[in-house]
Amino acid sequence: MLSVQEAKEKWGIAHIFSSFNNTIVHITDVSGAETVAISSGGRHVNADRYESSPYAAMKSTAAVVEAAHDKGFTGLHIRVRAVGGVGSRVPGPGAQAAIRALARGGFKIGRIDDVTPIPHDTTRKKGGKRGRRV
Amino acid sequence: MIFEKIILIPVDRVGVLIGKSGKIKAKIEKICSVSLSIDGQTGETVIKGVGDVENIMPFKAEEIVMAIGRGFSAENALRLVQEETSLHIMDLRQFVGRSSAQIERIKSRIIGEGGRVRKNIEDLSGAKVSVYGRTVAIIGDGTQLKSAVNAITSISSGSTHGKVYNDLQESRRRQKLERLQLWEGGNILE
Repeated sequence: MLSVQEAKEKWGIAHIFSSFNNTIVHITDVSGAETVAISSGGRHVNADRYESSPYAAMKSTAAVVEAAHDKGFTGLHIRVRAVGGVGSRVPGPGAQAAIRALARGGFKIGRIDDVTPIPHDTTRKKGGKRGRRV
Repeated sequence: MIFEKIILIPVDRVGVLIGKSGKIKAKIEKICSVSLSIDGQTGETVIKGVGDVENIMPFKAEEIVMAIGRGFSAENALRLVQEETSLHIMDLRQFVGRSSAQIERIKSRIIGEGGRVRKNIEDLSGAKVSVYGRTVAIIGDGTQLKSAVNAITSISSGSTHGKVYNDLQESRRRQKLERLQLWEGGNILE
């Protein structure tokens, strides 16, 4: 009985990379090595400045969800990543919309993690000694 | 459904985060369906996800807590609930190094006499600006954030206030033009 249920359950990982310029949704198997589906905001809107919008995130998540359903996935762990490093450590506006779209897509949601890379020291921020000259 | 994250906020902002008889804390918990546990001595705030997955907004909760920790009033921080607004935090040390006298100087340039410069930036860009400690925090949507960040970067790296206001007005004009072109078929220039 248990083995039947186990066979029915199939978990994957949804990696959501959310910056101020784009949102990338990438579903893999649990090992993280095998891609199931991937989509980004730029595939669904025309203007550059809308790539990071919640609408674009929703559309790209919907595309990925469909592909994952076809391949028989039933549950997803979510890993959200902001730019990190010297950049912003807060996920962009698309992250929230992507999580909601995944939940509405009929998957079981396991863990939600923040995997933004945080340095213990830091490399130099881009722009040089005299800074960005506007 | 598991989510857990620890955020440190300054001890003197804990009162704002909790609010009068826990009002603000309860509001954040309700809107984002999370539970907040706040340590009043250290300012350590633990955000935990509760409730069903469809309503949960763990990253919005994180942003709101950080915004309050960076000196925003609860009212301004709760603007972050709207989907397209987000929080941007700038460290002033990147412009002048570690000298605290220099940081004070830059802060006073950003705030201005009686808060005049900050108010002008807020009005012209539409974003909300808070100067606290060594950081400047900004709340706004994509275009608002971009123009406010540009303005504060150039003030901190030495531009005059007049030039910054001109740039802000210019970007505002451009946005208005774009909006008109979108809605009226592009023949406003004739």
